[in-house]
Amino acid sequence: MAKKITGGHLAAKYMKEMEKVDTVFTISGGHIENLLDGMAQYGIRAVDVRHEQAAAMMAHAWSVYRNEPGVCLVTAGPGFTNALTGIVNAHLENVPLVVLSGRHPIRDDLKGALQEMNQIDMVKPVTKWCATCYDPARIPEYLSIAFRQATMGRPGPVFLELPPDILFAETDESLVAMPSRRRHKTYVSPAQDELEEAARIINGAQKPMFLGGSGIGMSDCGKVLEQFLRKTGIPFALINYGRGVLPDNHPQSVNPGGFTGLTAGLPMCDVIIAAGVRFNWVLQSGSLFPDARVIRIDIEPTEIDRNRSVDVGLVGDAGRVLEQLMPLVEQRSHEKWLETFKNAYTAFMTTELEKRNTASDPIHPSRLVEQIQRTFGEDAYYVADGGDTTYYGMSGFASRHRAGVLAPAGGLLGCLGTGIPFAIAAKLAHPNKPVIVLNGDGSFGFNAMEFDTAVRHNIPIICVVNNDCAWGMIKHSQEISLGPDRCTCADLGLRHYEKMVEGLGGYGELVTKDEEIVPALKRAAGSGKPACINVLTDPTVTSPATVLFYQSFAGLG
Amino acid sequence: MRMSILLFLIYRMLWISSKVNPRFKRFIRKARVRLMIKTADGRHARLFVFENGRVSTATGPDHRFDAALVWQDPGTAVSVMLKRSQEAIFYAAAEGKLKLEGMSVYALWFDEAVKQAL
Repeated sequence: MAKKITGGHLAAKYMKEMEKVDTVFTISGGHIENLLDGMAQYGIRAVDVRHEQAAAMMAHAWSVYRNEPGVCLVTAGPGFTNALTGIVNAHLENVPLVVLSGRHPIRDDLKGALQEMNQIDMVKPVTKWCATCYDPARIPEYLSIAFRQATMGRPGPVFLELPPDILFAETDESLVAMPSRRRHKTYVSPAQDELEEAARIINGAQKPMFLGGSGIGMSDCGKVLEQFLRKTGIPFALINYGRGVLPDNHPQSVNPGGFTGLTAGLPMCDVIIAAGVRFNWVLQSGSLFPDARVIRIDIEPTEIDRNRSVDVGLVGDAGRVLEQLMPLVEQRSHEKWLETFKNAYTAFMTTELEKRNTASDPIHPSRLVEQIQRTFGEDAYYVADGGDTTYYGMSGFASRHRAGVLAPAGGLLGCLGTGIPFAIAAKLAHPNKPVIVLNGDGSFGFNAMEFDTAVRHNIPIICVVNNDCAWGMIKHSQEISLGPDRCTCADLGLRHYEKMVEGLGGYGELVTKDEEIVPALKRAAGSGKPACINVLTDPTVTSPATVLFYQSFAGLG
Repeated sequence: MRMSILLFLIYRMLWISSKVNPRFKRFIRKARVRLMIKTADGRHARLFVFENGRVSTATGPDHRFDAALVWQDPGTAVSVMLKRSQEAIFYAAAEGKLKLEGMSVYALWFDEAVKQAL
């Protein structure tokens, strides 16, 4: 007698055996029950969360930390719509997120079924590929397409709808065609004359800078990047998901200068090598270095001249392009230029460095970050989430790990609430390393219930709330634009987030004094539980990010 | 003395532009920025205040500011500022002749404001 398998079990089997998926972020739901059962059957860990947006964000983060597609599974209707924010975030960050979604039964189309809605048309503009599977025997084929679409070329989120009719339906397993291979290996390479022209520019540079972004992280090309930078002697900054491919304390890194260093130094550069990084608003559309000759390396051809014309565009995987450039570039040193760059940004950071090294009452956020960094060091993973909080985290944290310092709210979507989901995914991916998330008190609220997820699944992240009792960036921006007496919807008040986490079964402490910070962090780490250290910080402090945020709107109208 | 005169002239140029230069008027109309330029010893110091399209000033080092360009000495300050070049300021900082207190974004904004006013 032929062996039968249900659609849900078939999907789980394919993911486990062909795509090597070991973890899926999800919330249970009637429409997807059979797939959840299949995951249990085939040994795929289900991390069940409290809101689908967190599932999508965790799967997004998983793909960053593990450098493989992250998978989330959501149920139909509100499960799907709840996940949309996370899907859009992955879309704008070009992350290979695989979203599997339930939907109403095919049988009940147009009948007013429970959670009947057109999900595909809603998700189409924010995915790289989306489809509905109508035949249980074709589930592996559809999943294979989904994983390929997510990862090949420029990555991006994909969406596959699996109706309950096919998830619950049994099919003859012998009739199911499993794709014979997991990945195709196809590469795009630049033409030789383009590589040679790029090398000529690099070899003639006097004040060059290598700027690496998420494309460096996704290429996972630390070894060849190190060789390239050592040979050319070029100073570098690694940002977005490229941060940490080489450690922040690398002698040629200007990452310790943070945003201040880049805004001060980039206009001085005569050559910029931008690899896997978009010239979007974060880099002021490439206007920061108006006089530089620019070489762009990107896997997506349409990015090459986007927002700023370049001198040479090299299309391809960043690591492979660097490999091809290696024999063409000359052994050089830019030590004097590097020293000049570092000295200049240090002079521009006088106040910030003083704040970090001085105890203050109330606590300055830069000081808080410094105390966290001193406690956990560079062998840890840091996430920052918020407005001003993103700035303080990004400029103050340092890690020696790939993606060791991330600020997902600082991406194109500016999506607050990503911090706790990212931290949970980081801890799952690196269970033996400390994972610390620095949250603004505003951003904490979006996914704070995920502390329940962390408690249930024993994921001991440490969340430090930089609590200024307000939507700080908005409040300070309104103080500039409207005046301090007309701020609206900007105050949050003092809330005991640490008690909320305690109530969920975690560890919590309130901190109001500088000298309490480090002992509280140590007790949090020692508790072995998901922890929240709620730190009251100076509510009057404004970060440079707020000024830029305000300026970006001040020119309107 | 030369530095104090130069700072006063910068103020006058900004003030006149705030009255007659449409591009500059637009640039500063929503700005609230307090930018100090001074020497490390505080003997030469002037605060530039931009508030919703108005430009005002105050002398002396003891004023609240968003950013302050603190020069090692007045001679260096004058020679670098007269070059009217971001690069000259960058190298002065790298050589320890200038440090920036407060937030550098305000200094960049001020640099752009001076360009717009000229």
